[in-house]
Amino acid sequence: MIVARGLTKTYGPKTAVDHLSFTVEPGRVTGFLGPNGAGKSTTMRMILGLDRPTSGSVTVNGRSYAASPAPLREVGALLEARALHPGRSARDHLRWLAASNGIPRARIDEVLDLVGLEAVADQRVGRFSLGMGQRLGIAVALLGDPPVVVLDEPVNGLDPEGIRWVRRLARELAGQGRTVLVSSHLMSEMALTADHLIVVGRGRMLADCSMSQFIADHAASYVRVRSPRSAEVETLLRQHGLDVDRHDDELRVQGLDAAGIGELVGRAGLHLHELTLVQSSLEDAFMTLTADSVEYAAHPTETAGALR
Amino acid sequence: MSATPTASAAPPRPASTPGPDVVRLDPNRHVPGVRRPGFAQVLHAEWVKFWTVRSTGWSLGLLFLLGAGLTTLICWAVAEDLAAGDTGESPASFITWGLLFSQLTALALGTLVVTSEYGTGMIRASVTAVPRRGRVVAAKALLLTGVLFVAGVVTAVIGYLGGNWFLDREGVGLALSEDGVLRALLGNGLYLAGLGLFALALGLLIRHTAAALTIGMALVLVVGNLAYALPGTWGEWVAKLMPGNAGGSVAQVAPFSGGAVLAPWTGFAVFCAEVAVLLLVAVLAFRRRDA
Ligand SMILES: Nc1ncnc2c1ncn2[C@@H]1O[C@H](COP(=O)(O)OP(=O)(O)OP(=O)(O)O)[C@@H](O)[C@H]1O
Ligand SMILES: [Mg+2]
Repeated sequence: MIVARGLTKTYGPKTAVDHLSFTVEPGRVTGFLGPNGAGKSTTMRMILGLDRPTSGSVTVNGRSYAASPAPLREVGALLEARALHPGRSARDHLRWLAASNGIPRARIDEVLDLVGLEAVADQRVGRFSLGMGQRLGIAVALLGDPPVVVLDEPVNGLDPEGIRWVRRLARELAGQGRTVLVSSHLMSEMALTADHLIVVGRGRMLADCSMSQFIADHAASYVRVRSPRSAEVETLLRQHGLDVDRHDDELRVQGLDAAGIGELVGRAGLHLHELTLVQSSLEDAFMTLTADSVEYAAHPTETAGALR
Repeated sequence: MSATPTASAAPPRPASTPGPDVVRLDPNRHVPGVRRPGFAQVLHAEWVKFWTVRSTGWSLGLLFLLGAGLTTLICWAVAEDLAAGDTGESPASFITWGLLFSQLTALALGTLVVTSEYGTGMIRASVTAVPRRGRVVAAKALLLTGVLFVAGVVTAVIGYLGGNWFLDREGVGLALSEDGVLRALLGNGLYLAGLGLFALALGLLIRHTAAALTIGMALVLVVGNLAYALPGTWGEWVAKLMPGNAGGSVAQVAPFSGGAVLAPWTGFAVFCAEVAVLLLVAVLAFRRRDA
């Protein structure tokens, strides 16, 4: 279990993490979501005692990370930036980590096997591809068989097969009763992995709820209705107390499902050309939620005209 | 290892809140091994780190080649002049001459032990594995001083044997029993170990290989020599107290006639104090700063 209370980190004038309070419960995957620069990595570094909070605190299993006698046995972490010497082999990297926390050497082969790096274990990690480096990072995280696992963008650089593997792994770890915190900026990724969501933007908490709650709250849906006599249909639906938005020749109706609307219109003797349930994706919901807190938005280029 | 997660079939998606079907982790389920790792484990980890990067081999190899090789070479070159009394220097000043160059590699090794971790991001792995940062520095320092002491003494002894062979041929050789010879051979190890620590502390403070190395070399070599140009007794004292000048005298049988230096053990004590202060400041900064 990870508990943060009023966690705050400022770098000079910049507030990277702003009074975050949350609890990451064991037995489920908690997705940590936010746009670039939202403060996810900073929060994770504070959990691991790498950065010192400006104020507030964070504990892992009831105590600060640094107070753990053998932290790798307590918390396994995959950090954002590679924390490896490129000249060292994967096995040697795991070897010093294991030594530092009194973990037997046999465990090294176990985790290498687990992440599928046995064949390249003796190669220098500088030659590793992004995905191989990421797999080694996950091997490091699992080295101490820790009850708490913190993964900062674990699927970054992985191929589709690797992405599915990480998803399954996260779910499996949670299923074993471990505490699993996984960060991402992809809502679609989290939708497949997380049971619980913590959404941040500009260091502030935007949402802390279960995945299903998030979907119910944020993923808006409406029924698209087209009719040759749309003005009459609109009046009819409004009379029945439904929300109707007109966009050109289509009506966006909220408050009743598609079947209900179809019957209502049919009974009035009107014809429909389209009746579709439209659900905005979770990605859209996430974008809407974080729209105000995106710092590093791209601006559309205006060179298109010059090319003509 | 029963609880080792495997990437096999996807498990059924559990409910959002941990229900009764969720396995509670058995606290004794962990992999076997030392439950409360101490300093010995940290030292072991640093030992593995130290010997599994190429820069270690390179630095130590160069240290030996420059230290022992150049001492032998200079003795071969000047033996005849020394015998003729043409140089105005004592043969004792040449018998550890290579140190002038091998001290550079000790500086490099000490710097890299820390800054290579900053350069690669390794430092974050080090501090997550061992959050008690003082222990990390202590282990690095112990390892570095041990290795440099041994390397320094071995280099000096081989250099002495090589150089003295040429001096002996001209009848100006030094016996091991002569005043200060054994002290200087031992002093080579001591001085290089201290210099390594000095560089390690600079690395911790500066966290950047090129900058730390440049400043270290400048302080020990350039500023140390320039200080002799300062006027008056005040200037002489500044020069004598510069780390390279103070620490170096324990590693020489007899100083060259150019600059005044402190007595060997006095100088070494001053040097140790300087290194200790710098290291203390560095450790305090390291413990306070974000990794
Ligand atoms: N060491 C630092 N010094 C100064 N500013 C920093 C530092 N680390 C992070 N920041 C700033 O804090 C903010 C949060 O950064 P952080 O890396 O935590 O974001 P993130 O949510 O992980 O983003 P991303 O999704 O891009 O990884 C950013 O604006 C970043 O510029
Ligand atoms: Mg990040």
